[in-house]
Amino acid sequence: MLKLNLFLLFLVGVNAGEQINSYLIYKNVDRSIDLTSQLVKITSTITLENAGKDPIKNFLVVDEPKSDGKVVYRGVKDSAKQDLNLLPVQVDGSDNKFHKVVLRQNLEPGRTATVVLEEIIAKGLAPYPSSISQKEKQLVRYFGNHYIYTPYTVAKQKTDVVLSSRSVENYTKLKPVTQSDNTITYGPYTDIKPYTEDQLVVHFENNAPFLTVTRLERVIEISHWGNVAIEEQIEIKHTGAKLKGPFSRYDYQRDTSSSHHSIKSYTTVLPATAHSIYYRDSNGNISTSSVKHRKDWIELELRPRFPLFGGWQSSYTLGYSVPSYQYLYRTPEGQNVLSMRFIDHVFDDMFVEEATTSIVLPVGVSDVQLIVPYQVEKLQDDITYKYLDNMGRKVLRMRKNDLVEQHIQDLEITYSWQPQLLLHEPLLISLALFILFVAVIIWVRLDFSLGVPEHSKKE
Amino acid sequence: MAQITTVLSKFYNEYKTRTPKRLKAIDAYLFYILLTGITQFIYCLLVGTFPFNSFLSGFISSVSCFVLAVCLRLQVNPENKTQFNGISPERGFADFIFAHIVLHLVVMNFIG
Amino acid sequence: MVQAGSKKSSVSKINTKAGISSLIIFVVLLLAWIAGFSSRLFAVIRFESIIHEFDPWFNYRATAYMVKHGFYNFLNWFDERAWYPLGRIVGGTVYPGLMLTSGSIHYILHLLHINVHIRDVCVFLAPVFSGLTAISTYFLTKELWSAGAGLFAACFIAIVPGYISRSVAGSYDNEGIAIFALQFTYFLWIKSVKTGSVFWAVAASLSYFYMVSAWGGYVFIINLIPLHVFVLLLMGRYSNRLFTSYTTFYILGLIFSMQIPFVGFQPIRTSEHMAAGGVFALLFAVGVLKYMQSMMSKSEFKSLVVFGGLISAAVVFLGVVLLTYAGYVAPWSGRFYSLWDTGYAKIHIPIIASVSEHQPTTWFSFFFDLHILVATFPAGLWYTIKNINDERVFVVLYALSAVYFAGVMVRLMLTLTPVVCILSGIAFSGLLELFLREDDSSRGEDSEEEEQSTPSKRLYDKAGKVPKMKHEQSRDTDNIGPNLRSIVTVVILLLLMLFAVHCTWVTSNAYSSPSIVLASYGSDGTRQILDDFREAYFWLSQNTADDARIMSWWDYGYQIAGMANRTTLVDNNTWNNSHIALVGKAMSSNESAAYEIMTALDVDYVLVIFGGVIGYSGDDINKFLWMVRIAEGEHPKDIRESDYFTEHGEFRVDAEGSPTLLNCLMYKLSYYRFGELKLDYRSPAGFDRTRNAVIGHKDFQLTYLEEAYTTEHWLVRVYRVKKPDEFNRPRIPIANRIVKSSNYITKKNIKRKKGTIKNKPLVVKGKRLSSKQ
Repeated sequence: MLKLNLFLLFLVGVNAGEQINSYLIYKNVDRSIDLTSQLVKITSTITLENAGKDPIKNFLVVDEPKSDGKVVYRGVKDSAKQDLNLLPVQVDGSDNKFHKVVLRQNLEPGRTATVVLEEIIAKGLAPYPSSISQKEKQLVRYFGNHYIYTPYTVAKQKTDVVLSSRSVENYTKLKPVTQSDNTITYGPYTDIKPYTEDQLVVHFENNAPFLTVTRLERVIEISHWGNVAIEEQIEIKHTGAKLKGPFSRYDYQRDTSSSHHSIKSYTTVLPATAHSIYYRDSNGNISTSSVKHRKDWIELELRPRFPLFGGWQSSYTLGYSVPSYQYLYRTPEGQNVLSMRFIDHVFDDMFVEEATTSIVLPVGVSDVQLIVPYQVEKLQDDITYKYLDNMGRKVLRMRKNDLVEQHIQDLEITYSWQPQLLLHEPLLISLALFILFVAVIIWVRLDFSLGVPEHSKKE
Repeated sequence: MAQITTVLSKFYNEYKTRTPKRLKAIDAYLFYILLTGITQFIYCLLVGTFPFNSFLSGFISSVSCFVLAVCLRLQVNPENKTQFNGISPERGFADFIFAHIVLHLVVMNFIG
Repeated sequence: MVQAGSKKSSVSKINTKAGISSLIIFVVLLLAWIAGFSSRLFAVIRFESIIHEFDPWFNYRATAYMVKHGFYNFLNWFDERAWYPLGRIVGGTVYPGLMLTSGSIHYILHLLHINVHIRDVCVFLAPVFSGLTAISTYFLTKELWSAGAGLFAACFIAIVPGYISRSVAGSYDNEGIAIFALQFTYFLWIKSVKTGSVFWAVAASLSYFYMVSAWGGYVFIINLIPLHVFVLLLMGRYSNRLFTSYTTFYILGLIFSMQIPFVGFQPIRTSEHMAAGGVFALLFAVGVLKYMQSMMSKSEFKSLVVFGGLISAAVVFLGVVLLTYAGYVAPWSGRFYSLWDTGYAKIHIPIIASVSEHQPTTWFSFFFDLHILVATFPAGLWYTIKNINDERVFVVLYALSAVYFAGVMVRLMLTLTPVVCILSGIAFSGLLELFLREDDSSRGEDSEEEEQSTPSKRLYDKAGKVPKMKHEQSRDTDNIGPNLRSIVTVVILLLLMLFAVHCTWVTSNAYSSPSIVLASYGSDGTRQILDDFREAYFWLSQNTADDARIMSWWDYGYQIAGMANRTTLVDNNTWNNSHIALVGKAMSSNESAAYEIMTALDVDYVLVIFGGVIGYSGDDINKFLWMVRIAEGEHPKDIRESDYFTEHGEFRVDAEGSPTLLNCLMYKLSYYRFGELKLDYRSPAGFDRTRNAVIGHKDFQLTYLEEAYTTEHWLVRVYRVKKPDEFNRPRIPIANRIVKSSNYITKKNIKRKKGTIKNKPLVVKGKRLSSKQ
């Protein structure tokens, strides 16, 4: 979403020089900061009020300038749970990065409207201490803001910080604050000026898997024989506190407690129709995995070859096939449309640093169009040769950094293709076999015709 | 000693009278190959065998030319016809050419 | 089958009889190929398509390198990841035939856009070549005896365990293709001796070239063929055909074999190759004399011929001896000596003796690998000796020498297997010919023979067809001869069936384990896969520095390089004995002495194999005595084998074991913290299942190393060698103790869960903990 080219486009475009409407105030903000996983999920329910005279069409959301992590996803929904569009904009006289949210209905003077802003921040939790031994618990620190960072005045604000466990080392105590169970509640605070910052620090135990997908390469291969094959090459790394000192198998085997900072296994969800699933790495099959069929999906419990401790990494290849009737259909105009996810689920609360998706189209396609759900970087098209191809297959490739579960969205590829091409390869094989047989027949016959001169030579 | 010289002279006469012309041509070729082989050997004795593979490939190629020519001579010789059943002189010559092609490819590779 | 049909239809128009017989030959060979191929797939079906064992991993790695970087880069490849810090010039120290073969198959398939991974090419190479071996065995036997015997031999070699042991899918080793090259060279040699054609001799030398490029066993060919020629000369069977074929073969083979960088100038420098040269010269001398004799046609020269021959032989022999003494010709290598004197290796080169496949063969393994063929092959030998001719002399010599070599080394069982198959094929063919002769006298000899052999052939290709075939044959014989014939036939068929059953059984049970993936069967028949090797190697590849150096015993060198892609100190290419001895010394010294060696060699990690938890017998403790012996060979002052035995001369790891053993690095690394582990409720803590003993030394700490990784079943244990600044820490243990004391509480808290057994060992455990900190 923050892609540079798009940003530049808007810089020179019509949206340059957005103004901050000082008549808009946040009447009430209910913030919930979810720190139970490796990702920081901030959900803010904002009640907007128009204190001015003119109707308001849009409002701005701003990136916090001194934030630790990286906002990898931001979405706004209105009270009817409908997504609102976010557009990056530039505001005169400010270096902050702004995003404009266009409301579905104009906000008339004196009226209020409720929107829900959802932000997901990756790497917002820093393990502290940064390296621990096998037996220690993993502690992390969260650096945030007691107040919502916004260009508008906030009348009233309350923040809930949800932690993964009860054991909290310490936290900033900006009154009023209460801690109950695994929730810390800040506020309510009233009448906060725009751009107010006040550091919020929570230091607590978090044994959730800090697992990052450092690289994901997804290849989708379409076959019009009725199959779509998907293969994902995944590199994962434990990005929590690093393991200090030795790894002891003995201690590891004896420690049967369920919450441990090491990662033994995780669950990948596949489509319900997935079949021929394989799970392997450069050394061959990984024999430790189990497949569970749920009603609407397949749960794949993947166990890496070794438990992952802080700083350890692993890589594997996961592949499966799905029947094409669910993903591939024909438009009335005779075009083929494939709608497939740009990335798919790897594990819950995943964070993907870099994902490359390639789509291998069938032989002889033309007129290819690509519709993406969000901005991606388009890479050079490629040509690949699969089994017995003499004409290459076109490969569309695209890349995107920093993805989370919210990015599991469909992309659509439209292309034209002649069904006769399906017979191309079988015909090729039969032709080759035919030539072979003819050659054998000719050879057998020639053998005898050659024999005669040899006889005469002998004489 | 005297016996051997008589034997040899007799042998020489026999050779001159009984050997066909074609075989004599091959024998001349054989003699030439033998000379090249001997020259190479003397050279290596005098100068040394420094690029050993070059010397070897040269020497072995002379030896194998000699061997192949001897084989050809044996196969072409009408006296040996009963032994080489099914190998006509033409066939023998074709084999000779084939073997030479293979040999010289290898020698070229080896002489490096 | 379709192909056969088309071939049949085209042939039958011309000659129905020839057509049918060639169809039968074709079908039988095809079935033999398929049967041989599929019976080698047990490992792939049970486990997966994976490279097996140790050496294949290197071959696979080299092949992958060649595919990636091209052939010329492969020839110039200097592998700095092996034999640290020496490195290895791979291009000059391998037989490249195997890599070239699979590389070119891979290349051709990719030209056709059949995208096969190079690993799959490597895995299935040996089974595919087994089919080619069967075919060349057929041709060889056909040249020696008859087509029927050839079919028998082809079917035998397709499924005989002695050959399968080296050619199951995944066992990507030189032998897999070398046996094909061996058989094919012999076939072409026999062909050229028979015809005297230069063409066949050139073909034989080309095939010999392939063999040289594939396997060190080519020495067997280059000695056996001259031996054949020599024996023929002794028997007075000199002919011009022999002269042309041998001289051409020898001189071309000589220059061909020198093209392989690893072989280099050996063919003219080492004793192993001298016999061939001698026979070459001898043959020349005999040829010249024969020629002179023919020119003069005088009987008195007969004596001169013999005399001249003897003199030239003596001159050649003396020349070789002189050259050997002068140093131009290298004396025989150690492995070669051990062929003549079985005790040689044990005394002089422990490293050769330490390999199990270099041990002398037991009678059991003869039967195990060859089954009834062991019994029938002397019969075939007898048949051939009775009807001797030029070619059969060869097979007799082949059989005799191979039997001897197979008796000396288990590994050379492989060279015996083909000739056993050939001779058994001859024997069975001869028997059936005898007992079914009067079946159908109207038919031609050839087709009759094939008719007889094929049904029985089908027998072990498809056991289901047995009853029908039996019927057919017994009915035929009933009409003519006495019942004895049918009984004998049935017995023979039963034998063949038993053979097929035995082969399948052996293949499935003994030779189809990849050995890097272990399978254990529970009491209820469920199979559990122990994947510890790959777990550890993958851990190394992912979580150690790219240039980390890993010390392990040499058995695991190739696997570490292949699967973990890390630098090793020693590997299965055991060319540098002193380097191996150094590693052995490190393993068998105490920790501080070992640390000196390890820092001198820049070791980052140490890897040991430990089977005590699951009862895996091939682990490092069981190999440990070899390490000691090899180390003792180079460092007799520091390491003495006797120190590792108890006073009664026993090698034991329990409390009565010798203190040197209980304190050496290998022991410590294997049993580190094992003393605390209770495997089940009955056995005491620290019970080693492999050696069925409670280990003798339980509470010890490692000063210079720390556990880096241990696999799930403790099979592979990896230790990190500490840097000098790290292990100084134990010098201020008081400070450490104070810091660590906070851990007590948490530890005891965990302990409390185990409740019931807590009370009694509390004191002991407390003590242990304090000693540990």
